[in-house]
Amino acid sequence: MLKRVVALAALMATVLSTSAHTQTKVNRGIRLDANGAVRIYNLGGSVKVVGWNRDSVAVRGSIGKGATFHMGGGHAGMKMFVEDADERNPAAANLEVFVPVMTKLWVKTATAGIDVSGVNGSLDLYVVSGDVRVTGSPADVNAEAIDGTIHISGSPSWVRAKSASGDVTFDGKSSDVTMSTVSGKVTVKGSAFEKAKFESVTGNITFNGTFERGGLINFDTHSGTIDIGMPAGSSADFDIVSISGGIANGLTGKRPSVGRYGRGAELGMSAGGGGTRVVVRSFKGAISLRVAK
Amino acid sequence: MIDPTEEEKFAELNALVRQLPREIDPPADAWMSIRSEIDKTRPGESYTGTRRAIWQRPMFLAAAAVALVAVSSIMTAAVLGWDAGITRPRIVTASQRPQSKPQEPGPATLAEFASVENDYISTANQLSAVLESESNTLSPETVAKLKESLRIIDAAIIEARRALAADPGNRALIDMLNTSYNQKLDLLRRTTEMGRS
Repeated sequence: MLKRVVALAALMATVLSTSAHTQTKVNRGIRLDANGAVRIYNLGGSVKVVGWNRDSVAVRGSIGKGATFHMGGGHAGMKMFVEDADERNPAAANLEVFVPVMTKLWVKTATAGIDVSGVNGSLDLYVVSGDVRVTGSPADVNAEAIDGTIHISGSPSWVRAKSASGDVTFDGKSSDVTMSTVSGKVTVKGSAFEKAKFESVTGNITFNGTFERGGLINFDTHSGTIDIGMPAGSSADFDIVSISGGIANGLTGKRPSVGRYGRGAELGMSAGGGGTRVVVRSFKGAISLRVAK
Repeated sequence: MIDPTEEEKFAELNALVRQLPREIDPPADAWMSIRSEIDKTRPGESYTGTRRAIWQRPMFLAAAAVALVAVSSIMTAAVLGWDAGITRPRIVTASQRPQSKPQEPGPATLAEFASVENDYISTANQLSAVLESESNTLSPETVAKLKESLRIIDAAIIEARRALAADPGNRALIDMLNTSYNQKLDLLRRTTEMGRS
């Protein structure tokens, strides 16, 4: 019994020792103007950025064995990055960064997920295969991924979210939005859309919400489905063309007609008095309009 | 190096393009408008059948060539990124963001689209070459997923292109093809920039 306890204690000591060697703690700070610029570069692990009401940047977290954490800059702008001994196989570095609320933020990672909340400045977020999550009301968001997902919730005034095989999701209010993916899903729930473009190649597009009067909204897919749900009485002027897919109109009684080129289906109609041009294009994906509950 | 399946698709696409008519007459009302403009600007010197058409004159052709080269260069530069030589993209503030402009009319006819399509293919080839030379900056898994996404877009382009060959006046198809090509170029551009640390 005693032997077992000793062996277990030895094993635990080894594990703790290894853990201490493989992770290095980071705890740094630097002064920054309220609207200063912050750049963060971290290949693997995670980057969490939180806006706070202070004129400084604080970083805490851990970096992997053999990695070096660099940070520096002036009052107007600063940057930090993790330098890995092996950039092709980076050790996970988990950073939690507190920045002034109005910071102009730029983050680039490879597999590390990016999570930003409470930052009201401009956001530029680039990830190869990690996921991007933005919460709050930044002035504008540009988020790009190759096969990662992008989720934005809040009320940024300008949004560009693009992935290739990942899903892109928006939940909130924005006047100018573009969401694009190749095979991922586009899911949108919200309002105040004045200029918006939702596009995919094979991914399904689902919209639930309302448009701003006088706006121009585009839905475009090759073979994904397009499902548009709007509350009863919502206004829009629809211009819908499907080359070979079907159109189901659950908003008004108007039926789609055979396309003007003798194939597919078309539907032009106004709902709720119109006022916003909604252009829907599909090659062969089904299009449905419905009253959202 | 271009993927063999991609090469086949390009060959197939080229074969489809070769089947298209070499010339398409401009709409009759367009010529009437041009003619009335000529008559307006040159009083007393009306068009005669022996005069060479305006678009066949050397000055017009030279200007058109310059315009095409300029547009093509701007398009290529825009897609590659003006600061392609800079290793990190700059931070753009909210006021500097390109605001959405009202949609400019794209090519309306197959003939117009065919010209734009050449630019798309040329730019995509350039970007693919850049990406291929820098592919070691991305993990094999990411490269595989990227190629799969490009294959999906190419398949959509080929399907829509076939439909357009059978239905050359279909404006909706032209719009869809434009969107698909833009998606392809945008994905190539983004991946090229993403690979740079």
